[in-house]
Amino acid sequence: MNAVKSLFRNPPLLTFLLVALVWLVASLTLRGFGAYGHLRYLLELAAVIGIAAAGQTLVILMGGIDLSVGAVITVTAILLPLISPAWDPTGLIGIVLALSIATGIGFLNGAGAAYLRVPPIIMTLAMATFLQGLLVIVAGGSAVTVSNPAVILLGQARPLGIPAGVILWLAVSAVVLLLIHRMPIGARFLALGANPLAARLSGVSVTRNTLILYALSGFFAGLAGILVLGMNRQGYVGIGDPYLLTSIAAVVLGGTSILGGRGTYAGTIPGAILLVTTTALITVVNASPGWRSIMFGTLILALLLISGREARR
Amino acid sequence: MSAVSSSGWLYGAIQRRRNRSLGGLYLVVAAFLILYAVLFPGILSVGGFSKFTQNWFPLALVTMAQALLMLNGGITLAIGPLVSLGAVIAATTMGTALGVPGGILAVAFVGLAIGAVTGAIVAHLRLPAIIVTLAGSFIITGVALILLPRPGGFIPDWLSITLAGHTPVAFLLLVVIVLAWKAFLATPLGLGIYAAGDNPIGAFRSGVPVEQVKIVAFALSSLLAALAGLFVAAQTGSGDPVIGTPFTLNSIAAAVLGGVGFLGGKGTMRGAICGSLLLSVMINVMFFLGFPPVAQYIAQGLIIVGAVAVPELLAKGRARR
Repeated sequence: MNAVKSLFRNPPLLTFLLVALVWLVASLTLRGFGAYGHLRYLLELAAVIGIAAAGQTLVILMGGIDLSVGAVITVTAILLPLISPAWDPTGLIGIVLALSIATGIGFLNGAGAAYLRVPPIIMTLAMATFLQGLLVIVAGGSAVTVSNPAVILLGQARPLGIPAGVILWLAVSAVVLLLIHRMPIGARFLALGANPLAARLSGVSVTRNTLILYALSGFFAGLAGILVLGMNRQGYVGIGDPYLLTSIAAVVLGGTSILGGRGTYAGTIPGAILLVTTTALITVVNASPGWRSIMFGTLILALLLISGREARR
Repeated sequence: MSAVSSSGWLYGAIQRRRNRSLGGLYLVVAAFLILYAVLFPGILSVGGFSKFTQNWFPLALVTMAQALLMLNGGITLAIGPLVSLGAVIAATTMGTALGVPGGILAVAFVGLAIGAVTGAIVAHLRLPAIIVTLAGSFIITGVALILLPRPGGFIPDWLSITLAGHTPVAFLLLVVIVLAWKAFLATPLGLGIYAAGDNPIGAFRSGVPVEQVKIVAFALSSLLAALAGLFVAAQTGSGDPVIGTPFTLNSIAAAVLGGVGFLGGKGTMRGAICGSLLLSVMINVMFFLGFPPVAQYIAQGLIIVGAVAVPELLAKGRARR
């Protein structure tokens, strides 16, 4: 009984078991679902959400939210092919440039939130609106094809049969988990999310940590943008849109409180896989777009009941 | 909020404090309205005024819907889908035996029902509102798509002409709705929305049925959004299952422009309505000045940040001096 109780107090594990259960049942009942190739494909899709949600997790832990994730993914996916210098055979310079731009956008979000005192939800929303306009000017609304070799390698390579995107996700997960749970700065983020006033009075700089957090969120969104570009081989306006809400949903499904201060990236990882699995299952059931949308919403609600409940206050 | 005579001075002081931060907003709105009237004197005629308020009306309604929940300490991401669903229900029922009155009732009933269910989920199952309404937005969009897979349906011409013709009916409706809100605020339940948003525990201990208030707030909010959809359907003469999409973010932006805070209890409905007017005028001015839609996005982003940041910075400067 106590074991069951402690399980329900551990949302990351709970979400993980939920994924295992869904995969098991779906593999036994649906032909082809349990095939190695299909599961690998699901993980590949989850990697994009997971990486974008890494920044989102950090920001939400601090009590903020980043609504510019989708726009930053689009910006990176469109700008990268345009700014990759042709003389660079590795393509790494283009990646560094694109990631700097993404980080810069995140930094601007942080600056707005920290110095101008604009609420993060508004600052990042306005940033997304702003970028949307800027993109159409830059890209002219047409899709751009990527020829950057490093990006294509990231999107298509499969060392030892494992997609490079999934390996990237593993690396990001390790770094983010270390950052949150093993480094002083992670403790500061959590302290700011739990009680900003107490954290400030204890000498935690709100301004500095806000800047770092939103810059990190921009960086991870940029990384997700590069991965999605590599997988699609094309960048277009709107390519990042689906990842805004899914990144938030993955965080919340993983048991992180949307109010900040409580949670872990360890929950976001199964949260991202769960979301992708849900979408895949709905696609298998041959339904009209309307019914698919209803099923997706209902499933998120049902999953929330299991893993995303706020503690009674 | 109903003025108790003995504490009239207290009421006055609170009202002054709540109005203080709105002064700047009123000035900006007035400046934009004057700019608009100078650029397009047509607004001063009855027809021009009618058209202008018709463009503003749905945004004003959804902003009220959003502000209602934000004042209660919540938020909704389902505004756009509700507008779409309202439009779709209006367009699919008014051509049938139900007729126009039946159609209006159907829209109102569906709005109230969806809101009440959402509110019950948030209040009793203790799930965060932002994520419940996010999930709800998928469900509502799905229902709208099933009812009317592609734009169409039927709205009687006389209804379109009455609501969106050359008479300021929309403006009068808005006045009626605002008066109804004022009357609602005078009831214990209406006051409870602010109280539970400002301090849920304090409100609960003072006897406010916090969970019931939350359900009512969601029901009224969804009703307003669905009615905005009905109006949009009358305006365009048909239903469209995705027509409401931009309203979700615009409703949040307008409410925040109007000084409504995210943590509940902070802000006023008049501020929110002013915020929606400002956003509406801004969009209109940029459209008529021939800004390409792209530049409109950029300007909108900058203005929203500016409108929120400038008062904050001024307050900070004042505090330092």
